[in-house]
Amino acid sequence: MKLFSKLFHQFILRHLVRERMRSIATIIGIALGIAVVLAIQMTNASSLRGFEKAIETVSGRTSLEVVGTGLGLDEGVVTSLGWLRSYGQVAPIIEGEAEARAADGRRETLRVLGVDILKDRSFREYNLLEFGAAEPTPQEFLELLIDPKAVVITEKFARRWGLKTGDEIELTFADRATRYRIRGLLLDEGPARAVDGNFALMDIAAAQWALGRLGRLDRLDVLLGDRKSLDQAEEEIRRRLPPGLKVQRPARRGAQVEKMLEAFHFNLAALSYIALLVGLFLIYNTVSISVITRREEIGTLRAVGVTRGRILGLFLAEAAGLAVIGCGLGLGLARGLSYGAVRLTATTVQSLYIATAATPEPLGMRQVLLAFGIGLPLALLAAALPALEAARVAPMAAMRGHDRLASRYRLKPILLLGPLVLFGLAWWMAGQPPVQGLPLFAYGSAVSIVFGAALLAPAVLYGLGRIGDRVLFKLFRVEGRLANANLAGSIPRLSISVAALAVSLSMMVAIAVMIGSFRETVIYWVGQTLQADLYLRPATRNNVATDAPFSPEVEQIVAGHPEVAAVDRFRNFDLAYADGLVTIGTGEFQTLLNYGSLQFKEPAEPEAGREAMRRAIGQEAVVVSESFALKFAKQRGDAVTLDTPRGSVVFRIAAIYYDYSSDRGILVMDRGTFNRYWGEPQATSLTVYLRDGADPDRVRDQLLARFGDQYRVFVFTNKTLREEVLRIFDSTFSITYALEVIAIFVAILGVASTLLTLILERRRELSILRLVGADYRQVRKMVLIEAGMIGAVSQAIGLLIGLLLSLLLIYVINVQSFGWTIQFHLPTGFLIQSSILILIATVLAGLYPARAASRLPATEQMAEE
Amino acid sequence: MILNLKNVRKRYEGGESVVEAVRGVTLSLAAGDFVALMGPSGCGKSTLLHLCGAMDRPSEGELSIEGTEIRRLSDDQLTALRRQRLGFVFQFFNLLPTLTVRENIELPLLLSGAAAGESARRAGELAERVGLGHRQGHYPQQLSGGEMQRAAIARAIIHRPALLIADEPTGNLDSGNGEKVLELLKELNRDPGLTILMATHSNETAAIASRLVRMRDGLIESEG
Repeated sequence: MKLFSKLFHQFILRHLVRERMRSIATIIGIALGIAVVLAIQMTNASSLRGFEKAIETVSGRTSLEVVGTGLGLDEGVVTSLGWLRSYGQVAPIIEGEAEARAADGRRETLRVLGVDILKDRSFREYNLLEFGAAEPTPQEFLELLIDPKAVVITEKFARRWGLKTGDEIELTFADRATRYRIRGLLLDEGPARAVDGNFALMDIAAAQWALGRLGRLDRLDVLLGDRKSLDQAEEEIRRRLPPGLKVQRPARRGAQVEKMLEAFHFNLAALSYIALLVGLFLIYNTVSISVITRREEIGTLRAVGVTRGRILGLFLAEAAGLAVIGCGLGLGLARGLSYGAVRLTATTVQSLYIATAATPEPLGMRQVLLAFGIGLPLALLAAALPALEAARVAPMAAMRGHDRLASRYRLKPILLLGPLVLFGLAWWMAGQPPVQGLPLFAYGSAVSIVFGAALLAPAVLYGLGRIGDRVLFKLFRVEGRLANANLAGSIPRLSISVAALAVSLSMMVAIAVMIGSFRETVIYWVGQTLQADLYLRPATRNNVATDAPFSPEVEQIVAGHPEVAAVDRFRNFDLAYADGLVTIGTGEFQTLLNYGSLQFKEPAEPEAGREAMRRAIGQEAVVVSESFALKFAKQRGDAVTLDTPRGSVVFRIAAIYYDYSSDRGILVMDRGTFNRYWGEPQATSLTVYLRDGADPDRVRDQLLARFGDQYRVFVFTNKTLREEVLRIFDSTFSITYALEVIAIFVAILGVASTLLTLILERRRELSILRLVGADYRQVRKMVLIEAGMIGAVSQAIGLLIGLLLSLLLIYVINVQSFGWTIQFHLPTGFLIQSSILILIATVLAGLYPARAASRLPATEQMAEE
Repeated sequence: MILNLKNVRKRYEGGESVVEAVRGVTLSLAAGDFVALMGPSGCGKSTLLHLCGAMDRPSEGELSIEGTEIRRLSDDQLTALRRQRLGFVFQFFNLLPTLTVRENIELPLLLSGAAAGESARRAGELAERVGLGHRQGHYPQQLSGGEMQRAAIARAIIHRPALLIADEPTGNLDSGNGEKVLELLKELNRDPGLTILMATHSNETAAIASRLVRMRDGLIESEG
């Protein structure tokens, strides 16, 4: 061991320090790879953790909660639940969101909790700044909140906004802006910790009024006495609850959200591993360079008695050393990257899934273990090949340099068997169904395609080497011939670089084609579906989850406008369905049929779809989104059982329509049907059709003028809504591009280091060239042509494999993850542009190696002899 | 005069130590000379070959090739000189393994910017002349040692150099093949009258030269 560490110090460490540029490049590659993986993991965890933490902190000591089905529960029902008190204490809760608005235009969303303060004290801790360490008595608290315009906010938020007790704050609930007086400041404890201090407490009656939900509660929190176990109590309460009510643990809401985000997170994580893969390729390269440049030294070591095993160990230790530093740096970098990733994913998570003030998870033992647990073994694996090569160096031959005489690569046909088997496997796996909602087989298929393509790289290079001479000689004369001959002679070493770059590029191509296709599909769908002239939503309803209905006055103003022909009052809310959440929507089918348009999947014929919808009016029938049908394997005519306030009801699927607004599954029913089970719905969005000849912009301005300062409503014209849809779409995929840029950057770093490897390996040939009269410009030109060829070949393979992967993404992975049908569309412009860019980037990456090659002295050859 | 050395010295400085490999050599080669350079290992003959081959500049003294003093030439000019006026043959043949025999032979011409057709034609002729007409499409690894060295000689003379530098051209060949290579060199010396400077350890090899120069400790020990 002592000898080993001495050898490691003298033989490996000193070399790494001497070759510090290369060592640093490798470490940066690994660090970036690891950092991206960790950042995505932390980002994914953060969007969930933000939500779970909010549930946890707001739930306090609550053991169980009684909830309604979708729209909360009627206060009237609560009176019949007196028996609940025999299990412990019961407190009614209403929760919602408000937008705080400052005079300077600053806005932030607050989570508002409406409680019955007398009952709530046992559930949650409320420590007010004014009362110091002591909690206020219920009486004191009641006095603070008794005024319907009173609110208690957190000290943290107040400090940020420069507010103090007694100040006024403008809060907008749904579309209503009201000024509230701050009656107290909560210390950073208990529920006040939720959503980073963006929390407000109100009396339950005031909150019901503010949220426009008079007579309704969100849930009843239950704090069990000691008498019974949680399981037993939950079971008993479940049995005694009337239809339409459910008992659950607070954590259940977190689990539902987790389920909802699972596919989104899984896909991001899969993408992040590409960066790591490319980082590991750098390890392979660095250890290869070490071995190549020091064959003589290895030979000497072997000659003086160092065993093969020890040589192997030394080079593996080099990889391990680089990986440890890379992982360590990666951990540091991950924190910064995760802030960027959270920012990039926040719009997606918030516009499609949940409202949460996400901050990245702090670095913990989990990340440290993950970094080293992934980075180290994979680095050793990457280094295994060159380390074995080092161990095989024969003592005398290496010292004389004889074993370096390159032999020409011969393609053995048996090598084509591997790719064929892998492509066959990929084909089979692409046809398999998802596993628990995740496209595991499809990803297996993608991995098979990628590895198949990687194994095909030698054959492609071999083929090109055979035909390349003619073309390159014509284009670049003798330098072209030499470049082609060099590459054809280095196929085994080159194949790995080309494969790594091609894999990175193929992912870029695949993702670009997928996003391009998706974007085109969405543009088409928006064009087909968005037919109305104006779309209205309450100011605080900024995402799908917020329950913020319109004020009746707003609805009246809209309906009363002389140029409005029809208004479709749409309402949606979340409903628990099969372990997750789906969206229930209701609108006026007749209005939609008269004025609007849906794109039907089943029945495919538009007129048949409209007829199916017409027949669903008044029936126990729903029209469902494609994502719902695919996720839950439902077809037209199938039955869906939903929990309603009147118990479980079976609805028939009348039609399936295309929808790209959300992947969670939407079931829409006619207003009449909805009324029978959930009661008269308040609208959460209004779709307005104007009379012929009306100017949407003018009507919008007139409506906004009527709403004045009192009602805060967003009014989109058809044009602005289309723009908004595409804005959300583009921001959703910004993270994908960011990950790709990193992967390609690392891959280009790889090309530079591969070329450097090849040049070191070919020192002998390069000095022969210089001897027979090649000047440094010719050598430089030759290396740059090689760099360009590596780029061109990689991009060509990348394009081909990328197209295959994009088909997999579009037709399998997307369908299985999100339930969306995407029409294939080739973003030709982008692909041409990126191909040229990659070619330029690889040629630039060849500049340093080219300089190094042209500086090799002509005498090196003879000096050795 | 093809090659003219006057009191040439070459020093190598490595850290604190200074090694003087060539310590004042004066030597001339006229057109058509065939000079064998002999001496024990470390005597400085490799360094002298580097200098004569315009791969390096002397530290002191004068060295001219066809009247051009090389100490005043830039790297680019040295490269051009090598490309146009010098040819090299080595012990380990040093053909480029990724090029065919014909491609190896025509390389110097192509690097000088000659037309592809003309280069190919001359390479073909030379391949025939060195007895490799039937091997032009083969790669070096497919040849015997003697064949490789003959290909290397063809490459070294395709651009009609003024001087051929040969460093142990038979050092890695069996006696049969060695003789054939020497025969070829001799023939080239006769027609077209190629000037040759050849380093060797072997008295037998040196015997075919018209002049013998012995070196020891960086100096010419004897000449005759």
